[in-house]
Amino acid sequence: MTSEVLDDPTQRVVENLAWKLRRRQIVGSRATALETLRVLHQVISDSPFSNMEQLVTIVRGVGRRLVEAQPKEHSVGNTVRKVLHHIREEYNTATSGSGAATISYSGFSISKFVQLGQPRKHTVLPKAESRGSLRENDPDDPDSFARSLRPVLKEAIQDVLDELETVYDNVSKNAPNHIHSDEIILTLGMSKTVEAFLISAAHNRNYTVMVLETAPSYGGRDMAKTLSTAGISTFLVPDSSLFGLMSRVNKVILGAHAILANGGMFAITGSLLAATAAHAHSTPVVVCAGQFKLTPLWNLYHEYGALDFGDPNQVLGFEEGSLVDKVDVVNPFYDYVQPDLIDAFITNDGDHPPSSIYRLIKETYDDEDNEL
Amino acid sequence: MGPKAASGKEKLMEEDEVLQAVILADSFDKRFRPLTTRTPRCLLPICNATLLDWTFESLALAGVQEIFVICRSHAEQVKNAIKESKWSRPGSGIKIVPIMTAKETFSAGDAMRDVYTRGLVTSDFVLVMGDLVSNIRIDEVVRVHKERRKTNKDAIMTMVVKESGASHRTRPQGDSAVFVLDSETSECLHYEPVSAYPPTTMTRIPRELLEAHPEIEIRNDLIDCSIDVCSVEVPSLFQDNFDYEDIRRDFLHGVLTSDLLMKNIYCYVAKDGYAARVKDTKSYESISKDILSRWTFPLVPDDNHPSGHVYQHTRGNKYIATDNSVSLARTCKIGNNTLIGAGTKILENAQVIGSVIGQNCVIGAGSIIEGSYIFDGTVIGAQCVVKRSIIGAGVTIKEKTRVEKGCLVGDGVVVGPLAVLDPFERLSRRRDKTVVVEQDNDEDSDIEEIEANQGGASSILGKDSNAVVWPQGPSEDDDEDGIAAYKNQRIRRLGDDGSDLELSDDGSEASDEEGTESSGYDSSSDFGIPTTPSSTTFLPSGAMGESEFQREVAQSLERAFAEGHSVDNAAVELKTLRMASNVSLSRVREAVVSAIVEHIQIVDGALPQRKEISRVIARWGALINQIGGIDAEETVSALQIHCASSERFPLFGQILAELYQADIVEEDDIRAWYASPAAKGTGLKSGPTTENVKRCWAVGARMIQQFDEQESESESE
Repeated sequence: MTSEVLDDPTQRVVENLAWKLRRRQIVGSRATALETLRVLHQVISDSPFSNMEQLVTIVRGVGRRLVEAQPKEHSVGNTVRKVLHHIREEYNTATSGSGAATISYSGFSISKFVQLGQPRKHTVLPKAESRGSLRENDPDDPDSFARSLRPVLKEAIQDVLDELETVYDNVSKNAPNHIHSDEIILTLGMSKTVEAFLISAAHNRNYTVMVLETAPSYGGRDMAKTLSTAGISTFLVPDSSLFGLMSRVNKVILGAHAILANGGMFAITGSLLAATAAHAHSTPVVVCAGQFKLTPLWNLYHEYGALDFGDPNQVLGFEEGSLVDKVDVVNPFYDYVQPDLIDAFITNDGDHPPSSIYRLIKETYDDEDNEL
Repeated sequence: MGPKAASGKEKLMEEDEVLQAVILADSFDKRFRPLTTRTPRCLLPICNATLLDWTFESLALAGVQEIFVICRSHAEQVKNAIKESKWSRPGSGIKIVPIMTAKETFSAGDAMRDVYTRGLVTSDFVLVMGDLVSNIRIDEVVRVHKERRKTNKDAIMTMVVKESGASHRTRPQGDSAVFVLDSETSECLHYEPVSAYPPTTMTRIPRELLEAHPEIEIRNDLIDCSIDVCSVEVPSLFQDNFDYEDIRRDFLHGVLTSDLLMKNIYCYVAKDGYAARVKDTKSYESISKDILSRWTFPLVPDDNHPSGHVYQHTRGNKYIATDNSVSLARTCKIGNNTLIGAGTKILENAQVIGSVIGQNCVIGAGSIIEGSYIFDGTVIGAQCVVKRSIIGAGVTIKEKTRVEKGCLVGDGVVVGPLAVLDPFERLSRRRDKTVVVEQDNDEDSDIEEIEANQGGASSILGKDSNAVVWPQGPSEDDDEDGIAAYKNQRIRRLGDDGSDLELSDDGSEASDEEGTESSGYDSSSDFGIPTTPSSTTFLPSGAMGESEFQREVAQSLERAFAEGHSVDNAAVELKTLRMASNVSLSRVREAVVSAIVEHIQIVDGALPQRKEISRVIARWGALINQIGGIDAEETVSALQIHCASSERFPLFGQILAELYQADIVEEDDIRAWYASPAAKGTGLKSGPTTENVKRCWAVGARMIQQFDEQESESESE
């Protein structure tokens, strides 16, 4: 474990977050992402490192510890990957000076189009060649590398933080282009992103929202309340009427817990039902989510466990003594929604079809970090 | 321990909001034997983590920061387990201090007295047992408790209870209780344990509860989680009452029935969350099932396993260790609600259904494991059948053995091949003769006895076995209590549905007994104030105590007057007297009033006389209200009755006025007394005393008149 190299206070911060994640004291993809960033910030500013490899191992070690603590909160791993990506980028700009070694993005060319599908070249550049002003492994002053790199790294983390903080605004920027007047929109659960999206659309458009109650969490009730306080004409409908209503609905807007590399997603229970019903009626399904939910996994091995099963209490009361012994209750938090049921993802980085999510993931993270 | 405690206290000074918990890690019973002969119960694994780890995790979930673990049996093992656990690593955020208590600690009460003498707790703390599995937000309960303490200093304890149905697998039969709660405040008013054998068919609720509380709930559907949020007074109450042993049966009952302590205990009826105690093998099974079916979320094997194991959760609540060390044969069958630990091998055609398999176990080809709990490192041979049993660690069960339901097999036992164990058989390893066992002697002698008494067992242990069979049933020299206790015990065994015991709820065979008891109760309540049905009610002490008590009070007060005791000391003495002779509060009041009146000396002249009265009342008047409970109206009538038959009769008016001046009685009380029929002397036999009573009443009338005048004056002003 590399995290044992870390000095005590940093270690404690990491352990503390790991405990909280395990105990589910921090839940939700955005909250966990924010907490992870905070910890990484402290790790980078406090731990000693004298070359790039050490730094990367330290950050990865922390990442691995946190992901192991709670593999179901995907945004923890995503944040670590994103930070690693930024670290490498900053390092490369710092070492290569003018940036001659990096791929030039200017101009249209068929080669660039091909390259986008390739592993990023600059991450595997031999470091020996490109030693600019940075001195790694300086025997006289082992701290010099860290000292010169730290400010830019902190900036990089600040960038990720800013992105997280502006995620709602950026997602909802294009809302009026997706929602038109007099449309009927169906949504479910309580998603801050969807809420911001719908409210922002309501500034320019006059439309109706139907919110499913979303048993057993009943997040839909809160959602309906906030939407109607924002002045949107809102209906709170029971889950059972989903299919009957679908023929009248113009668009289904969903939130996501994690967007997977194959274009599918994990989303709150009931999403699969809604997406399937929409599919049957050829109603478009649009997913609003921040980029930090992009996860370089796909639903192959984790199909069942990743759905994160909660306690049966919400479905069957514990006081039903005679039933508890005879009934096995399955209460998943999330549904896995296949890519073919989704029409578009609206992220803070523009709109994408499910088929190009893999590309987005390649751009956002480095391939070598997929396994932390 | 010394320096540690000191540093702990310093830390407390800095951060005042440290939440402390005390875990009583000893169960003080032997329900899990022979599994617990070599390991303490709190270190038995449930779902592959020790009970103590589950308890720690439950407390950590609630934000407890400092835990004292009180251990008695196998204390060294507990201490080592704590030292090696993840909790002692930095960053766990919890400080765990193991406390070794003396071997003479035989009950929870003794342990609490130990907590008191060591001065461990400094503020409100959480008291739990070392076998708790819970996800209840205890911090919420603590908050409610502290909130209540702000307004009511006498609310010393809040018990957490969990709603369950009338019949529930997690609510152990034979260890439940009837709670009587005030519906509004959920104050616990009455508690009565329910035993399964002989079946408890009725409960008695003291009449005064119905008078004092407009709405009460009588509930028999609560799981007692044994999570108590206690104030610092609780250990000291144990210290004061050295005969308290059980926290519920003695302490709770004692506090609720005592009208001297004037303390309140509240219940917190948890709607959400889960909490239960592994009290016996039956609850061991049901809690295992609850964990596997995720009632304890987020404390579930795939999420936050207390021992830090990682399990993958697959369809049908099957949990399999994720580190690829589990080997499952292609043809084996894993049923629902099953947990399989790391390094375990399940061979061809084996079936594992609804069971928990520890780490590094081997389940032989073609064996069937159903509803069983198998600890680490156990090897089960081919073609075996194990049903609803608990198999300890390192056990070897050789091929073609049958283990029927309810068996407990101790650590390191070898049975088989071709062995057949009867239902509910208990096996332990024969001790190695060459090794000197350093365990305590009573356990040793038990085992020796068992070893000596082999032969009666009908189970076939197989030729390679090293096991001894523990006797079933009550031993011959047991008295009737022993048999009842045994039958009670039986119901709590794993897999025992108690169908062969008569446990019908209507229990008509017990009605004769009830009849006599309830009539006894009725007669005891004829004394004016209904007495609670404590065991003392049935002693003929009531009548005998009366006269003796009067004399004792008089003597004790005389001594107090003569030696100039403080009022507090005198009050304590009176309370003790009252407890000793079990008389009602009004008797004490009468005695005190008469003693004080008699203490006033008769002097000539109005002014000196008044001075004398005010001196006595100022010195001793407060005592009247300190004997426990204030009832000024009764004080006045006691005064009236006493004066009527005393030579100090002429002083009645002056004493009453003085009491009024000293705020011992209020104007309203005098009016209430004046209005009552007893004050007018109705119902008394005619004679000089009655005359005097009537005259006293007339004095009262004059006083009331004065009050009225004063009032009209102040109004006119």
